[in-house]
Amino acid sequence: MNSNKTAKQSKQLVNRRDFIKLGGSAAAVLASGTLTRNVLAARQSNKSKPKNILLIITDQQHIETIAAGGCRYVRTPALDRLKTSGVSFTQSYSANPLCSPARSAVFTGRTSSECTVYVNGRPIRPDIPNLGQWFSEHTDYETFYAGKWHLPRTYTSTIPGFKVINTGIGGFGYLCDTVMSRACEGFLRNRSKSKPFLLVASFMQPHDICEWLRLNMENPGRLRYPQLAGQLPELPDNFEFDKNEPEAIRQRRLGNEPFRGKSKWDKEQWRYYRWSYYRNIEQLDAEIGRILQALEDWGYIKDTLIVFISDHGEGMGHHQMVRKSSLYNEASRVPLLFSWPGHIAKNETDTVNLASGLDIMPTLCDYAAIRPPQNMRGVSLRAVLEANGSLERDFIVSEVSTNTGRMVRTPQYKYIAYADDPAEQLFDMKNDPGETKNLATSSKYASTRRQYRKMLRDWERRLDVPANVPNANVWGQKV
Amino acid sequence: MTEKENIMAKKKSSRTIVGSPLTPTMLGELGALGELATTADTFKPDGNWINNYRIWTCHGYRESGNDNVGWLRIERTVRGPKGSFILKVRQEVVQTDRLLNVIDVAINSLNKQPPSLVEWQLSSRFIEPDQRRKNELEVVEKGAVNRNIMTVTTAEHTLKREVPSALTCDWCLFEAVQHLDFEEKPALTFNLLEGLSVLKEDQQLSYRGRHRMKINGKDISLHRFDQLGRGILPYEYWLDDRHRLLMVTSMNKAYILDDQAEKAIR
Repeated sequence: MNSNKTAKQSKQLVNRRDFIKLGGSAAAVLASGTLTRNVLAARQSNKSKPKNILLIITDQQHIETIAAGGCRYVRTPALDRLKTSGVSFTQSYSANPLCSPARSAVFTGRTSSECTVYVNGRPIRPDIPNLGQWFSEHTDYETFYAGKWHLPRTYTSTIPGFKVINTGIGGFGYLCDTVMSRACEGFLRNRSKSKPFLLVASFMQPHDICEWLRLNMENPGRLRYPQLAGQLPELPDNFEFDKNEPEAIRQRRLGNEPFRGKSKWDKEQWRYYRWSYYRNIEQLDAEIGRILQALEDWGYIKDTLIVFISDHGEGMGHHQMVRKSSLYNEASRVPLLFSWPGHIAKNETDTVNLASGLDIMPTLCDYAAIRPPQNMRGVSLRAVLEANGSLERDFIVSEVSTNTGRMVRTPQYKYIAYADDPAEQLFDMKNDPGETKNLATSSKYASTRRQYRKMLRDWERRLDVPANVPNANVWGQKV
Repeated sequence: MTEKENIMAKKKSSRTIVGSPLTPTMLGELGALGELATTADTFKPDGNWINNYRIWTCHGYRESGNDNVGWLRIERTVRGPKGSFILKVRQEVVQTDRLLNVIDVAINSLNKQPPSLVEWQLSSRFIEPDQRRKNELEVVEKGAVNRNIMTVTTAEHTLKREVPSALTCDWCLFEAVQHLDFEEKPALTFNLLEGLSVLKEDQQLSYRGRHRMKINGKDISLHRFDQLGRGILPYEYWLDDRHRLLMVTSMNKAYILDDQAEKAIR
């Protein structure tokens, strides 16, 4: 958000008494433009606080993988239930479409570059508190973590701020998700209900598609299961696309399995890959269902705020991409659902507001009635969830590729730039949601490009990125 | 990047992608198989027997990330004159930092195709490396299915749920597939209560012929059945001529018949 605009709005929206009530950290938060009128209103009206919070995170889930959201290739009764019982976002983005970086943003509300988690397997910068640490210090929620962490270890027995339910086997989603959800089921059955909890259930699936790709890289030229011939999902509309791309994207595509085997994939192999991905989604859904069922059977469901997000998406053949680490929608857009019966609007799909993984921390703090840590880069979504306002946000930013790539997304456009790469991308997301026509090279859009570069530069200048992060000094200067 | 990160990145980039699905031949190539188990002349699928399987997983590279992560024992005991039987199952899977998940199950089934679930007892517990049990994560329950209603009973609750007909469980399939004829017939259709807990509908099991292959330099032929359905990646069941299930492969994991399976994770 433009800082001048923010300051002007803030003057209009917050009086001196409100400001004092919010405490010292409010100054920094308001200055960064991350606290909205609606958040203030919510906080001041003593809104309800959920007794328990369940944060479900999945790994590598494309946003269009929920039957109730219109996907006709899967059956997802658990995700359908979550979606129809609450609010889902269609314009929700990963802060960095790669596992560890995305997770660092979810668990801190700070960008991955600020957290120094610019690649997989790095720890969060120690002076930035994670969700567990913040909640342990400022709330009466007992904080638990089950499943994949990846900051830095994929699975671990110790996470600052959390009691860890240390289930999981690195890289094997199907096996470890089953054990993890069984452990969560046991946790919910055996726990005394008197003490509120924040439980993170972090699934590995549908990430098993990465192993699938390595075990199916070679195109056999015929289906291993001939009976699937009439059942394979169609290719996406944007399988073919504008090849005028930054080199980083082109290289990423060519480095992936469909282009690395002895013979390039044909369309049937692409469709078989999509079919297999959907089966991974259904596996995941069954395990989520086990936890939701336990919440219901053991009497938690009405008192529990459930938040559901994926760390990043999956290529699924859009732009002939697989996996993640690109800023195209298939990898950067993620499912984001909220449910709390009686408090959050039911069966609402928000197609307007832009949301980010960066919003999880401030939103949960809002629900827990505590101030968030300083310098949140996301905003609380509570006003939207409870249908009493909209977000005062003009755009969101995502990062990628070891801090070399950035994306600015507004309701109208998506602008993508890479450090030291002259090729930029600009897509009209309202008229070309599949991102097939790069407008960046058109002189007609020169001023739009300049405007978005400036938005990005202004955003960058507000970040606190340590000097040891690659390209730390590149961003914020590029005009 | 730090020096350590650079070394890790170099190691990763030098790995070889497996490229093709797991099959018995591929398991041999990847070093997952020892000596193939032999089946005694007296083995009868509808008799009393014990099969032990190693649970082996593959990360998709030839050089690293492939390991035994658990084991599974299935013990079949004939119960009555009409062929009903009890299946006793123990599954152990090693988790992060050597935490062990142990599942013990006793299933009372009718000898149909696929076996019909009648009733069962299940316990899931977690054991620390120092043998301390994590009581707070335990699940102990009894279950029964009667006319499409599943009843699950714990120490505190009795829960009832509607379930589809032709319901069996994944562990029962390890038993059931050994009864099937080695001939192409219409697929066996059923619904799966995976782990006696989560429902996966519209499953099909079909015979896919006899496959000659080389495993560890030896010519071998195995019979293959494929299972496809909702919520699973395809399972391939590999049996010898005596109808004993030697291997099961499904995407990145394999169950390998091995009398010493338990030792693989100790």
